[in-house]
Amino acid sequence: MVRTTRQFRSRLADLHLGSYLPLYNRLTEQQRFAYKLLAPGLAMMFLIHFIPIIWGTLISFLGVDSSYIYRWHAAPFVALENYQYVLDPRTVVGGRFWFSVRQTVIFAVGTLVVTYVLGLTAALVLNQKFKGRFVARTLLLLPWVAPVVVTLLIWRMMFQQQSGIINNILMSIGVINEPIYWLIGDNAIWTLVLTHSWTQFPLVMIMLYAGLQSIPEQLYEAAAIDGAGRWEKFRHITFPQLKPVSAVVVLLVMLWTMINFTAPYVLLGAQPPRAGQVSILYIYDFAFSNFQFGRGAAMSVVLFAIAMTMALAYYKYLFDEDFTEGDQ
Amino acid sequence: MIPTGLQLSSSATERLFDLLTKGVLGTLLLFALFPIYWMVISSFRTRTEITAADPQLLPFELAEIPAIVQDPVLLAEILHYENYVTMWGRFPVLDYFINSLIIASTTTVFALIVGCLGGYAFSKYRFPGKGAVGGALLGTQMIPGILILIPMFLLFVWIQDTFAIPLVDTYHGIIFVYTTFTIPVAIWMLRGFFDTIPDSVEEAARVDGCSRIQALVRVVLPMAAPGIAATGMFVFLVAFNEVLFASILASGDVTPFAIGIQSFETQTTAYWGEMMAASTVATAPVLLLFVLFQKPIVEGLTEGSVKQ
Repeated sequence: MVRTTRQFRSRLADLHLGSYLPLYNRLTEQQRFAYKLLAPGLAMMFLIHFIPIIWGTLISFLGVDSSYIYRWHAAPFVALENYQYVLDPRTVVGGRFWFSVRQTVIFAVGTLVVTYVLGLTAALVLNQKFKGRFVARTLLLLPWVAPVVVTLLIWRMMFQQQSGIINNILMSIGVINEPIYWLIGDNAIWTLVLTHSWTQFPLVMIMLYAGLQSIPEQLYEAAAIDGAGRWEKFRHITFPQLKPVSAVVVLLVMLWTMINFTAPYVLLGAQPPRAGQVSILYIYDFAFSNFQFGRGAAMSVVLFAIAMTMALAYYKYLFDEDFTEGDQ
Repeated sequence: MIPTGLQLSSSATERLFDLLTKGVLGTLLLFALFPIYWMVISSFRTRTEITAADPQLLPFELAEIPAIVQDPVLLAEILHYENYVTMWGRFPVLDYFINSLIIASTTTVFALIVGCLGGYAFSKYRFPGKGAVGGALLGTQMIPGILILIPMFLLFVWIQDTFAIPLVDTYHGIIFVYTTFTIPVAIWMLRGFFDTIPDSVEEAARVDGCSRIQALVRVVLPMAAPGIAATGMFVFLVAFNEVLFASILASGDVTPFAIGIQSFETQTTAYWGEMMAASTVATAPVLLLFVLFQKPIVEGLTEGSVKQ
């Protein structure tokens, strides 16, 4: 056993694999060790992220439908036909796709606004010194920690038109006169925004809270000497100091909401009302119930491109901001 | 200082502000906790109580409270436990739970092994391409799952068909997918925890004759244990809650809880009571673990997300 291993090793050494890898050869022993540690992770990412993304992009140029599920490689090359089909707003599919993009933007921006307001309020409150602060922080984090499928189903039950507690409370305090439909019809998108915000605001809260804690106390002391009140302190110190953290929050919440599948799928069902059919859910339904994989892939690529464009534009904006601030 | 006119004295403003803060905190807590309360209370209700047109906020009358305080055993008569008994029979909840436990805990073990190695490399070593690899790891969090799901489904079906290796609706298929998805987060969180361990600890171990890998396993990992536990819990939750890939790649005998529980609501009827009972059973241990481990979890999260 030992001998064969040794033989194998010497044979491997004879191959001079290193000479094929000039980059690897240039690494120090330490750097090689780092790459060895990373190797399993990178290999898996390559298999499950990199290859499928390339593959998915390729499939978007192929006419893969129900007859080609078992032999996608035999599917005809259709060039940009899939893209033309799904992006043409005059067709049924194209119209619905662009509508779903619009609903996705409402979902993302709405969630951002609600989670930011709730998260900032909660972070500011937690930043005050009071008894039981730690307990309050723990309790406020629970919506985010509880299994999200479970919490979405609770909201689904609470939003029932007839027996739901939400209609009941709204009616008893006189906001509405008769039970309204939350999960079907045009309200579905706002129901989705509210529910998703409930599950996400603790994350925003804890990020902003970390930001608040890192603001140096001296700034407030100096402001107090200048006679600044609470509001002036917030406007001229707290809010500007939170800017870098807020930027990260805005980017993450927007992007993660745009690509979120769980919330619309569990809250509104696999075949949601039109208003709640955000892009990822529409693509899912379209691809897997009609076996239209080529066209579904084309839509996924478009969604990915939109998300990436937004991320890049935002990064660039952030970078420019930092740059000008550094200039002053 | 003598208060003049409408101007409030400083201590009065102080008190007003204090009151306002408490009011806001109370409202936030109510908003955050009410759904969880509603889940627990609904799980103890009968079908008729749940589907009634005017759901009651409390399971008992206000007038009954003094009696209950005096004799808590009365609660046993007011609350109904049937849902916890019938849910196991109505749907294969136990199977769903077991499937989820198998899938999520195996994913956690694999993701932690791979994540510890990667996070350690990121924390302690400088190597060419570090920025690019780190960026690629973070970038995976921005990819819409559907973009990966469509080709992966076709690949899985094709591999099954061509090489007779079952992948769709198997434990190993979905575990492999989940492990990969959670690796970037695991590496990122663990890197933050390894950063807090001073390099001198490891150097001392090396001087004592440990190899690099021995130093990692024997000295660094035990010190990072709270961080590893926090990361593990996070990975477990992600795997437990995933529905997009599970709905396509894990049905039949391997249906996890996140998919299975939705069958409590059918086209015609909704078994809300049973659903909330199963939900309570699934939520209780998670919340308990969080309360125990919350410090490292919160730290790991804020480190990973704010410090970029």
